[in-house]
Amino acid sequence: MIQKLLDIDRRIIFVLVFVAVAVPLLAGMVMPITPTKEVQAAYDEIEKRAAGDVVLVSFSYGASTVPEMQPMARAILRHAFRRELKIVAICLWPEATGLAQEVLEDMAAEFELQYGVDYTFMGYKPGNFSVILNMGQDFHSAFPQDNWGAKADELELTRPLRSLKDFDLVFDLAAGDSIEFWWIPYGQEKFGFPFAAGCTAVMAPDLYPFLDSGQLNGLLGGLAGAAEYETLVNHPGKASKGMSAQSFAHLIIVAFVIIGNTAYFVSRRTRPEQRS
Amino acid sequence: MTRDTYVFLAVLLLFVVTNIGLVASGILAADWTGLGVITGAGMTLALYSFLYKDNPLFKFAEHVFVGVAAAYIFGQYWYPTIYGELIAEWTDLEVGETANWWLLAPTALGFLMLTRFSLRLAWLSRYSFAFFVGLGAGLTIPRYISSFILAQIEPTLQPLSLSWDGFNLLVILVGVIGVLVYFFFSVEHTGVAGRVSKVGIWFLMVSFGASFGYTVMARISLLIGRVTFLFEDWLHLM
Repeated sequence: MIQKLLDIDRRIIFVLVFVAVAVPLLAGMVMPITPTKEVQAAYDEIEKRAAGDVVLVSFSYGASTVPEMQPMARAILRHAFRRELKIVAICLWPEATGLAQEVLEDMAAEFELQYGVDYTFMGYKPGNFSVILNMGQDFHSAFPQDNWGAKADELELTRPLRSLKDFDLVFDLAAGDSIEFWWIPYGQEKFGFPFAAGCTAVMAPDLYPFLDSGQLNGLLGGLAGAAEYETLVNHPGKASKGMSAQSFAHLIIVAFVIIGNTAYFVSRRTRPEQRS
Repeated sequence: MTRDTYVFLAVLLLFVVTNIGLVASGILAADWTGLGVITGAGMTLALYSFLYKDNPLFKFAEHVFVGVAAAYIFGQYWYPTIYGELIAEWTDLEVGETANWWLLAPTALGFLMLTRFSLRLAWLSRYSFAFFVGLGAGLTIPRYISSFILAQIEPTLQPLSLSWDGFNLLVILVGVIGVLVYFFFSVEHTGVAGRVSKVGIWFLMVSFGASFGYTVMARISLLIGRVTFLFEDWLHLM
């Protein structure tokens, strides 16, 4: 029996995880979501800006992390546009352009925004951290034109922006190391602007020390962070829908961790020759 | 034919019949959007089929993904940057405008990197690499010391107090010292150093556990995203 548990076909685990995800989604189960203080802090950063303040949103993620990052982007932009903030969007990952454009266009339709006045999309620029340094020195030199070739100094929103210091808040949405290794050392530390971020769950544990040090003012980690932000802006979306499935899948995995470890230790006790 | 071949053909047939049913019943539109959803669903199922066993459908989907991603990324480099800011600098000059000749310097360095493909000219790429490494080190070292060491020491060494915050600070302090001792190899890990480094190991284990927990959450989130797509956008069950 114990050996059978240890030799369980991994496809059985896959099926159980799939069922744990599928059933809550199909049943439309909803679980209460309580925002954590890191997400609340990110929310407060947008909440305390005045109408007309300019927020730089940097998109640094690709198709492989869309389920975590895209709901986050929607919730943050929805909040910012509700507060009548101006958004300048950039991409530091080439894959992010299509994704950023999709969210911006949806928001523009929802809030009847005027391009170049309420928001602009500057597109992708290669160079990683050097782009951030360049933006800090001369924003127009880093992004001389928007995603469609319109000159930055001809757009009403970007014309007066000369440096990163001209932004009232910078928000990085990242699936890689752009928060920790690009924005904090070369942007926030050097130019001293308020900085909040959203990241995949994999990255979140590494970023907590930057909250304590004040280098990061708020943080959304993974689907849970996105769901918490959706709760704060009172607009449940795909992240909130997914959280019940997330909880059930976690229960299955915790159960298998307990079963696996129990079976392993019991098998060691019953077969002393394996103890070494 | 093997059992796997039958499974493969049965799944393929089921997918085709399902899509015909969805389009015929009007659930999926018979247009480019509908075709996009069907392609997305097919690719998702093909990639997840690897969980059963490696198969030609998985291989096909994997290669399509790599090819599409590479082409998309090349497009993102080419149009806005290489063409938009470099070639257009000379070809789309308006009357009275002058080209930015400084752009030729990084362009030349970029071309020198490509000499790696020639055994005879590969040495020229060292100029580019020397510039890149020198610039990178010069920019990185002071910024990293400032951001990751100096800025992190301050919150670690705050005054302790009889409160939860004070307790948290104490835990952080003990963790930092324990892990630093664990990675200090100039002293043999016996006696006091051994006991402190054991504390460091415990902190590292807890840290790895937290990272693993978050990683599980991330991977399940991606599964939720794809399952939501299949149920909502493809099958319209949600």
